[in-house]
Amino acid sequence: MGVLALALVAGCGSGGGDDSAAAGDPNAEFTFWSFTGIGAKDSVDEYLAKNPDAKVKLSEVGSTTETATALTAALAGGEVPDLVMIQGDDLPKFVENPDNFIDLRTLGGDDLADEYLDWAVGGATATNGSIVGVPTDVGGLGLAYRADLFEAAGLPSDPTEVAAAWSTWDDFIAMGETYTAATGKPFVDNVETSVFFSTVNQVTEKYYSDDGEIIYDTNPQVADAFDVAVQTYDAGISANIAAWSSGWDPGKANGSFAVTVAPSWILSGIKTAAPDTAGDWRVTTVPGVGGNWGGSVIAIPARAEHPEAAWEYIKTMMSAEAQTEHFQSTGTLPAAKEALTSEAVLSYTDEFFGNSALGQVMSDSVLDFNAYYNGPDTSAIGAGLLNALVDMQNGNVAPDDAWDKGVQNVKDALG
Amino acid sequence: MRGNRQQKSQRPTKVKSSLPERIAPYAYVAPFFIIFGIFGLFPLVFTFYVALFDWNPIGAHTFIGLANFERLVQDSRFWNALVNTFGIFIISTVPQLILALGLAQLLNHARLRWANFFRMSMMLPYITSVAATALVFGQIFDYNFGLINWVLGLVNIDPINFLASRVGSWFEISAMVMWRWFGYNTLLYLAGLQAIPREMYEAASVDGANGWQQFWRLTIPSLRPVIIFTVVMSTIGGLQIFTEPLLVSPESGLTCGAGRQCQTLALFLYEQGFGQFDFGYGSAIGVALFVIVVVAALINFFLTTRTRGAN
Repeated sequence: MGVLALALVAGCGSGGGDDSAAAGDPNAEFTFWSFTGIGAKDSVDEYLAKNPDAKVKLSEVGSTTETATALTAALAGGEVPDLVMIQGDDLPKFVENPDNFIDLRTLGGDDLADEYLDWAVGGATATNGSIVGVPTDVGGLGLAYRADLFEAAGLPSDPTEVAAAWSTWDDFIAMGETYTAATGKPFVDNVETSVFFSTVNQVTEKYYSDDGEIIYDTNPQVADAFDVAVQTYDAGISANIAAWSSGWDPGKANGSFAVTVAPSWILSGIKTAAPDTAGDWRVTTVPGVGGNWGGSVIAIPARAEHPEAAWEYIKTMMSAEAQTEHFQSTGTLPAAKEALTSEAVLSYTDEFFGNSALGQVMSDSVLDFNAYYNGPDTSAIGAGLLNALVDMQNGNVAPDDAWDKGVQNVKDALG
Repeated sequence: MRGNRQQKSQRPTKVKSSLPERIAPYAYVAPFFIIFGIFGLFPLVFTFYVALFDWNPIGAHTFIGLANFERLVQDSRFWNALVNTFGIFIISTVPQLILALGLAQLLNHARLRWANFFRMSMMLPYITSVAATALVFGQIFDYNFGLINWVLGLVNIDPINFLASRVGSWFEISAMVMWRWFGYNTLLYLAGLQAIPREMYEAASVDGANGWQQFWRLTIPSLRPVIIFTVVMSTIGGLQIFTEPLLVSPESGLTCGAGRQCQTLALFLYEQGFGQFDFGYGSAIGVALFVIVVVAALINFFLTTRTRGAN
């Protein structure tokens, strides 16, 4: 069955490539593929409120990966949408083949890039300079923790005090040991996303050097980040509950762990998973410099039928002002610089998170963030290293061998 | 055959059939061959073709000869998936067919009340969607909140993280496969059993054969064609298993666990083709899977055919 499907999709490949219509109706009905969980429906409603003449056919295709897969199949020969969201991890593969998309500079002028965070636009810019997508949001990094559990364990609970107490990852582990000693419970949900994904995004160079060479196995910054995760595991303060596994949501509700990583787009998930803990959570900065996890861009395929209508949507909804409004209604962090420094974002708080300075933490995190080059296999390399840590937590790999296992995973993946 | 012979006997009288009459038989069988050509043969041949390329669905297609196959042989993930596929296949199929045979014997019992109800209920697992099955089994085997670990907890046994270990995840997937297919095979065996004339058993009883002897000397040889069919079909289906391992741990994606502990060949194919967008390599896996299935089905066919020799 798999063989058949693969060949069928491949069989239709390499068609199209014709020029998009030069002029068209900006209010034509256009198709828009988004993934679930990003509030696309709200965004479309906001657009229709601003532009009552417009007509949008929204499809929430599935998870980010499923959406990218569907887009690939569509670009390979199927019917493409006029507008599509692409998540950061999936982006490099599309940016590598920019002919599949309209260079947005041709629609919006050369100064398009100035509006958004440099590295966010950089990730969506092909080597030939073509801008494949406009950043819709970024994943400013914070840590969410349970203030009530911290207090019970005799730890500071005020966000500023906590941030000061775990200013380095060593401090973080030490705090975890104090917490676990006092309560007998794990401190952090897991080491692979909460620790490794945070630390490995605080580097100046990640899996690729700035000139595009793969250096994940020789880059000491990556090895150090990995080592922090292994140390956290060795300290015995991890609940070993993988993100999105069956125990994760209940764990947030019943205090199986007190800390979890919180890129801006994860916060709403804590609210839905643990409504009874309202007011108990706080959000503060991660140890060390800021970081980013996630974020998306919005793009127009080259074979789109109504690129003008799609561009109208981008122009309206990706403006700094509209991204700020969308942040206030759904919590997705803007990628537009002006929005990130706006009063509305910086002063944003949420009662669920005990009125922690959410907006300030998230905004600082992405503004302080070091840009690094992400190559086509960035997500495969990340997954290989991450899986070694999960395997370690499952007891299948010894902590001392985890790094070698991770490197081997990546070597297998890159072939 | 009879019609054929009659036609031959008519030939000397030189009654010519008209053109439409001669074409008609071919027209009747044509739809199968056309559909097979489009959906069976073409994808098969095309897969062999794509396997010779570094084929990016949205980018370049570069001819690289047999490089994909060379890479496949050296890829530890391929051998890992192969072991998983056969492991899951064996521990799901062998007990399943034995169970089905036993159940068919029970259902064939002359004095069974409500026989039709029980026979029909055998189809229930088969018509349930795999996704629903995976959801329910996921709950039963769950590490934190699963039924099995709850029961183990009652008798003070530490919870088992089924998905974290290789054998544990095989076991969970096999349970799903067994649950889905045992009823289907039971009904096939039952149909075979009902075709055996009762007189043969009566004659055997008169000759002094006991229950076991009747089962081994009479029932099994009579069921041989059905057994061959079920074994070959289970081999083809079992080696292509895809949905169960895909759904068993949604958060780990296409690898079925961080250590690829339950990634099957079909899932590995999908991961490379649609996860990594490497159609060439995915097709090479597809070709390998095709060869493996054909070889395994042939081996099982010959093994089961030889059961007559044993008797």
